[in-house]
Amino acid sequence: MMVHASTAPLPNLSLSWPRFAGRGVRHLALSKVRLMDSRADEKTELNDMLVAVGCRRDRAAFKALFEHFAPRVKGYLLRLGTTGGAAEDLAQEAMLMIWRKAAMFDPGKASASTWIFTIARNLRIDAIRRERRPTFDPNDPAFVPDAEPQADAQMVRAEQEDKLIAAVRTLPPDQAKVIEMSFFADTPHTAIAEALGLPLGTVKSRLRLAMARIRASLGSEEE
Amino acid sequence: MSMQHHPAEELLLDYAAGASDEATSLILATHLALCPQCRRTVGQAEAAGGALLATAKPEALSSGALESVLARLSDTVTEPAAPKLTAIGKAEAPEPLRSYIGGDLDSVKWRRIAGGISYADLPVRGKSKARLIRSEPGAGVGVHSHKGNELTLCLTGGYTDVTGTYARGDIQTTDPTVEHRPLADPEGPCITLGVTDAPLVFRSRVIGLLAKVFGF
Repeated sequence: MMVHASTAPLPNLSLSWPRFAGRGVRHLALSKVRLMDSRADEKTELNDMLVAVGCRRDRAAFKALFEHFAPRVKGYLLRLGTTGGAAEDLAQEAMLMIWRKAAMFDPGKASASTWIFTIARNLRIDAIRRERRPTFDPNDPAFVPDAEPQADAQMVRAEQEDKLIAAVRTLPPDQAKVIEMSFFADTPHTAIAEALGLPLGTVKSRLRLAMARIRASLGSEEE
Repeated sequence: MSMQHHPAEELLLDYAAGASDEATSLILATHLALCPQCRRTVGQAEAAGGALLATAKPEALSSGALESVLARLSDTVTEPAAPKLTAIGKAEAPEPLRSYIGGDLDSVKWRRIAGGISYADLPVRGKSKARLIRSEPGAGVGVHSHKGNELTLCLTGGYTDVTGTYARGDIQTTDPTVEHRPLADPEGPCITLGVTDAPLVFRSRVIGLLAKVFGF
C-alpha cells in the first residue's frame, strides 16, 4: 500500500505563497521565481496576492501585484491611444484603486487579470472619455439573481485562464482584428465596420465567432 | 419572467470591452440587472479582456512610480460603499437606471406631448441620447424609422409592433431598415427606456413637425 506516500506533505506551489506573506520582499521574490515554472500556478499566485491585499492590507503582496500589473495596465492604456503621461498617471491610479477595492475581489467570480482589466477599463472611460460607466448592482432590490448560483460567476480557474489566453492568441486574424479593435481601439462594432469598410453583418459574425471560441475555451455549457 | 428579446452578443461585447457610449452602456447595464443570461456573456467577454491584459506588452512605469503609489496607500481607508437609494414600493427601475432618474419610475418628471405619450430625457454624455417614454394603454409613438440605431428596453407594461411583443426586461434593437409603430398593450401604461444615436424619422410630416416642436 502506498498510503504513507499521501501522508507526506506535498509541495503545493499555489499554497506556498501565503506562508511567505509578511516575511519581506526577499521571500516574495524567491516564491515568484519558483512560480515561473508554471503559468497556471502564477495565475493562482496573483489571485492569492490580490486576496491578501483585500483581507490583510498586505503591502508586500501589493508590491508584487504592482510589479506584475502596473506595466501591463500602462501598456493597455497606451494601446488605447492614451498619451504617455496620462497612461502613467492612470496606471498609478488603477493600482491605487486596486488597493482600495481589493476587498471586493472574489476569486470565485473572476481572475485577478479580469478584475484588474475592468478597473482599468472603467478608470479610462471616466478619465479620458469623461463619461460615466453605468453598471448593475447585485444588491439592488430590482436586481434579478440567477436561479443557478454558479451562473453569475464566470468561474475562471487558473488552468482555464491559460486555455482562454491560448484561445485569444490563436484567433484567426480576421477575428483577432475585430476583438483587438473592440478592446484596444475603443471602437463599438458599428464603427469597426465603418473603419474596416466591411458590411456590418461581417463584423457581427466575426465577433460572434470569436466569442464562441472564447466561450468554448472557458468550457461553458453553451459552447 | 420569461424574457424573449436580448441584446445582440456584439453589443454585450462592446459593453465588456468598454467601447459602448454612456447611453448604450446605461440601457445594456439596466437589462443586465434583469438578465442573468446576458450577465454570463458579459463575464465571458470580460475574461477575454483579462486575457488580453495578461498578455499585453508591459510598458515600464517611470522610476519612483512604485514608491509614489506606496506613499499614497492608506491602511484604514476602504472604498466607501455607494449610498443605496432606498427602493420604495415595487422598485421598477434597477440600478444603474435608478441613479440616472434619481429615484424609481414614479419619481420621473414627465414631459407630456400629444397622443398619450410622455417622455423624460436622462443626463448622459457621449454620442447617443437616453430617454424614458411613457405610453398610456393603447397609445403609441407614430410610425417612424431611424437614421441610426435604436435600442428600446421595456420597463413596465408591454408593447407590440411588427417585429413582436415586448415585456419587462426585453430589449428591441432597430436599425435604419426598420419602420415600426410601437403600441402600448391595452392592459396598462408602458414605460420604456430608449437609446438612439440619431433622430427618429416620422412618416407623417405633421407628427414629425409636432415632435420637433415638443423637442421629442
